[in-house]
Amino acid sequence: MDRARAVYDDVLELLPGPENPTPLVRLNRLSPTEGFTLFAKLEWANPFGSVKDRAAAYLVRALEARGELSGSRGIVEPTSGNTGLSLASYCSVRGYPMRAVVPNKIPLEKKVLLKIAGATLDVVSDELCPSPGASDGSINLAKAHAKAQSERWVMPNQYENEANVLAHYHGTGPEIWRQTEGKLTHLFVSLGTCGTVTGCSRYLKEQNPRVKVVAVQPTEGHDVPGLRNLSQLSVSKLFDPSLIDEILEIDFNLAYTRAAELARREGLLAGPSSGLVLEGACRIVERERRGLGVMIFADNVFKYVSNMSKHIPELVEGTTP
Amino acid sequence: MSGYANTDVLVTTDWVKENLGKPKIKLVEVDVDTKAYEAGHIPGAVGFNWQTQLQDSVRRDIVGKEAFESLMSAAGIANDDTIVLYGDNNNWFAAYAFWLFKMYGHRDVRLMDGGRVKWLNESDKSLTTDPPKVTPSRYSASSPELSLRARVQNVLAAVDGRTHNLIDVRSPDEFTGKVIAPPGMTETAQRAGHIPGAASVPWSTAVRPDGTFKSADELRTIYLDGAHVDPGKPTIAYCRIGERSSHTWFVLKYLLGMKDVRNYDGSWTEYGSMVGLPIER
Repeated sequence: MDRARAVYDDVLELLPGPENPTPLVRLNRLSPTEGFTLFAKLEWANPFGSVKDRAAAYLVRALEARGELSGSRGIVEPTSGNTGLSLASYCSVRGYPMRAVVPNKIPLEKKVLLKIAGATLDVVSDELCPSPGASDGSINLAKAHAKAQSERWVMPNQYENEANVLAHYHGTGPEIWRQTEGKLTHLFVSLGTCGTVTGCSRYLKEQNPRVKVVAVQPTEGHDVPGLRNLSQLSVSKLFDPSLIDEILEIDFNLAYTRAAELARREGLLAGPSSGLVLEGACRIVERERRGLGVMIFADNVFKYVSNMSKHIPELVEGTTP
Repeated sequence: MSGYANTDVLVTTDWVKENLGKPKIKLVEVDVDTKAYEAGHIPGAVGFNWQTQLQDSVRRDIVGKEAFESLMSAAGIANDDTIVLYGDNNNWFAAYAFWLFKMYGHRDVRLMDGGRVKWLNESDKSLTTDPPKVTPSRYSASSPELSLRARVQNVLAAVDGRTHNLIDVRSPDEFTGKVIAPPGMTETAQRAGHIPGAASVPWSTAVRPDGTFKSADELRTIYLDGAHVDPGKPTIAYCRIGERSSHTWFVLKYLLGMKDVRNYDGSWTEYGSMVGLPIER
């Protein structure tokens, strides 16, 4: 590998770290006030397109270190898409089988991409009669595969596995600290498995306990893939409220409209979870007026065209002659 | 499990593990997610698909007597077997199957407390993808025990006469009429709201996060104190399609020992679409 010339021996060498961080791009039009600089950390620069590449690398490497993976024993994991894509791609490079268990409501693009990346797919019907506290269908189906056929599948379990947090504690957090030269005052993240927020917050608050960590959540009934609102969070064992200073609940429709604004006004083709993060960040910026914030933009908008069209009907107008 | 009116209708996961493979004890899995059984089930358990095997495929009705007998016979179940039911979603469809088996007169039916998910999360319990070894039997069912089932005429008489406890086990938003059904559900109705006089007690209130039923005292507090259910009156439970309400039916009839508890399996998809029926919001 020759990083200076960007020559690599395989795609895994593109995975980020403090020496090779994902880019930080300053917002020039969408930050509400000049006194507060907002940066977006573009996690779609990861080799397989999302922040989940980091967790996937740590999850797989931990299993490899214990001799748990081979050509006949692979990974089964419940995923809304990004983790599956990262794991499937990583496993394809290494030659391990990968089985992704996904909820039916994720966009078609994500299901197809998983198969392109080499995953076998289990699609779980959406809850017939959803109720808070009831078991999550995809998590339980993945656990069942790992339990019933443990000679074929192991489940890393991104919702409970500390490796998910470590990926951000050793990677994303230190990168942000270095990239902002220790001047960061705020971190803005969305909540899913909570690996990102827990790992980053732990690291950043160790460097400066006054850093404020603000998390955003979509309102109930949302269809933003990967995110969990308050009633769904019990499933994320990595959620540590003591590491989060504020949680903002934001109307999930804003995820889509704000993502469109990011593209049109900053040229950042960000996905809907990034739109939600931007909205949360702007609310804090308007209140605080001074600071330096980093927003974690988990992925770009390419996988979400169908969802964007659903929420912004104007996008579909004028698309036929 | 102390305090329940009937102690022989619930078994623990440990009890099931100790009794695996014993003759005359038959495990039956019934899930919302019909993929779950194939992914892995308790060794020896047969899986029934609630949509294709427990319902009539032409009329909106429970599976017919002959079809039920064929199903049970093919699964190798005998009339004097102990059937242990379990499933996903806190035994929601397993409770529906319990109701159905009782309608057809099976004597000894039990639920595995905590259902599929509790078994899944216990490290000393195994799952298998091996199909169970089944010796077909000759099962004969009784004619359906209609006193366990409420039809719309029973419901209307109850509304008029204020003679019954009516329990709506759907979500609060469905009860108030804010939504007709949870978002994305295809089984909806023409109108939103609830049956006049009904109390709202969502079905999952009766279970803990691990899927096991709450204690008898906790259940009495929820239903008798909280929802003002009168144990001296007959009761009808309903939801949207009649499956969640069988879970509550089980709680009231078997755990709290209330007399005359019926499951209104037509539920809101029927009531909320019938012309001229009174609705409250």
